[in-house]
Amino acid sequence: MKPSLSLTIGGVTFKNPVTVASGTFGYAEEFAELIDLEALGGIVTKSITLKERQGHPPPRTCETPAGMLNAIGLANVGVERFIDEKLPFLRKLNTVRIVNVAGSTQAEYVEVCRLLEKAEGIDMLEINLSCPNVDAGGMELGTDPAVMIRVLTAVREVTSRPIIVKLSPNVTSIVTIARAAQEGGAAAVSLINTLVGMAIDTETWRPRLSNGTGGLSGPAIRPVAVAMVYKVARAIDLPVIGIGGISNWTDAVEFHLAGATAIQVGTANFIAPDTTMNIIAGLSRYLAAHKLTAITDIIGRVKVKL
Amino acid sequence: MKKIIPQRCAVIENRRLDKAGWYYRLRLSGFVPSRAVYPGHFVHLKVAPGLDPFFRRAFSVSDFDAATGALEIIYKVAGRGTALLREVRPGTMLDLIGPLGNRFTVPPKSQTAVIVAGGVGLPPLAFLARYLIDRRHDPKTVFFFYGGRSKEDLIDLPRLRRMGANLILCTDDGSRGFKGMVTEAVIHHLSQFDDRRFHVYGCGPEPMLAALQELALVRQWSGEMSLEAPMPCGVGVCLGCIKPSLSAPGSYVRVCHDGPVFKIGEVQL
Repeated sequence: MKPSLSLTIGGVTFKNPVTVASGTFGYAEEFAELIDLEALGGIVTKSITLKERQGHPPPRTCETPAGMLNAIGLANVGVERFIDEKLPFLRKLNTVRIVNVAGSTQAEYVEVCRLLEKAEGIDMLEINLSCPNVDAGGMELGTDPAVMIRVLTAVREVTSRPIIVKLSPNVTSIVTIARAAQEGGAAAVSLINTLVGMAIDTETWRPRLSNGTGGLSGPAIRPVAVAMVYKVARAIDLPVIGIGGISNWTDAVEFHLAGATAIQVGTANFIAPDTTMNIIAGLSRYLAAHKLTAITDIIGRVKVKL
Repeated sequence: MKKIIPQRCAVIENRRLDKAGWYYRLRLSGFVPSRAVYPGHFVHLKVAPGLDPFFRRAFSVSDFDAATGALEIIYKVAGRGTALLREVRPGTMLDLIGPLGNRFTVPPKSQTAVIVAGGVGLPPLAFLARYLIDRRHDPKTVFFFYGGRSKEDLIDLPRLRRMGANLILCTDDGSRGFKGMVTEAVIHHLSQFDDRRFHVYGCGPEPMLAALQELALVRQWSGEMSLEAPMPCGVGVCLGCIKPSLSAPGSYVRVCHDGPVFKIGEVQL
């Protein structure tokens, strides 16, 4: 029998655990000619803010060892154009559609979620309380447990959809923040967002990104992400969605063993747009080879002597 | 619809084109494109296996033979990625994605194609010139301006001559052809023609393209140019390869997905 890859998060059923990370997949339509979108477990959109944002001036990205830095600055079309121009494409897709929401203030998060509430074709929201590249909001709202609880409580009043909270690794204790997300009523947490990083051109003495610092992603951050997923999954009762440098099916298995219920593929989409397809096939083969019947059999099963 | 997925192609040639060793011709066999390949399209190439360098590198297609699947790229060694690519031996399999991006338009036969290539901007325009002439554009209605700093920068000349277009060479130091900037060569050589029928095509260093765009805007020539930028994803999602828009001030265009070919007046250079 073919092993089952399906799972449930916040009452929403995913056909498999392989989803894509916000900001690495546009609004999905860009990938339509690259992969079979409906083969994915779920799709997370680019962060949506209340108003359209152009983002930071170039350069916005730079290559680093086994990874990259980015400081895009939440460039997006804004919630109204998203609903009018981007959502109709997503609405038709038979996969879990997750809209990532970002803002500068609590009021902005609430307003975006309120406007999205009336729109059809959205299964879940992912609240980005962890963007390292904007002056206000983003990471600031996601690093103080009391503030996080306040924001989530306010957001939950205007939306009926399950909420995933995307967590920043740039904190003293990600477990404390994850507990706050649980207390604030999240259905799941996703981690990790990018790590704050910087690269400097030694000839011009200027940072390689116009924003100065940026967010580090890619295989370089994977062990950090695995450790954080491991710690958070043991500390809270919510499903954890693992993110951080996942590039192939063995990486995905590693995150599942650490405690991730589902995963998001991010930067790898840039290097090999068919990464997600290969992971889905690889997970099936892995489960069959280990005589396992379901992906849920390996979640959090890492053997650690304590 | 056939998906654009990474494919592996064998290197059949990776040969130096100039004395100094800056320019190389890479030929790959067995490329099966998911859509027709046109001048202006680019491919996203993994120059080495593994994670170093991390990003793919984007190269304009300089020629493609659909019958044999032979794909040609001409590149200039400019950084770590191209330095690694230079070391690749024939027989090596390289991973590439493509064709990506948009393409040059073909002008009506009543128009005069004014192709303006500066240095490293040659490859897509060499493909375009061949394409236009193959599509029965009279070679004499195709002007091909090709400029470089000195004669060492001008490569692949026999092939350009064979096409039969009006080839006008120029160099900054006067070591070959017209002495001066390629835009000055355009003004100098084309002043006796009726320029209302000009359609310009440009590719090259950004200062050259800025001068070309200004000239075209002043003279009200239609036209388009192919831009270059480091591209993490190549498919329009990472928003890394942006340039400021001229036609929609305050916004950006994505070189990989909105381009790499842009109309004159579309991008601020």
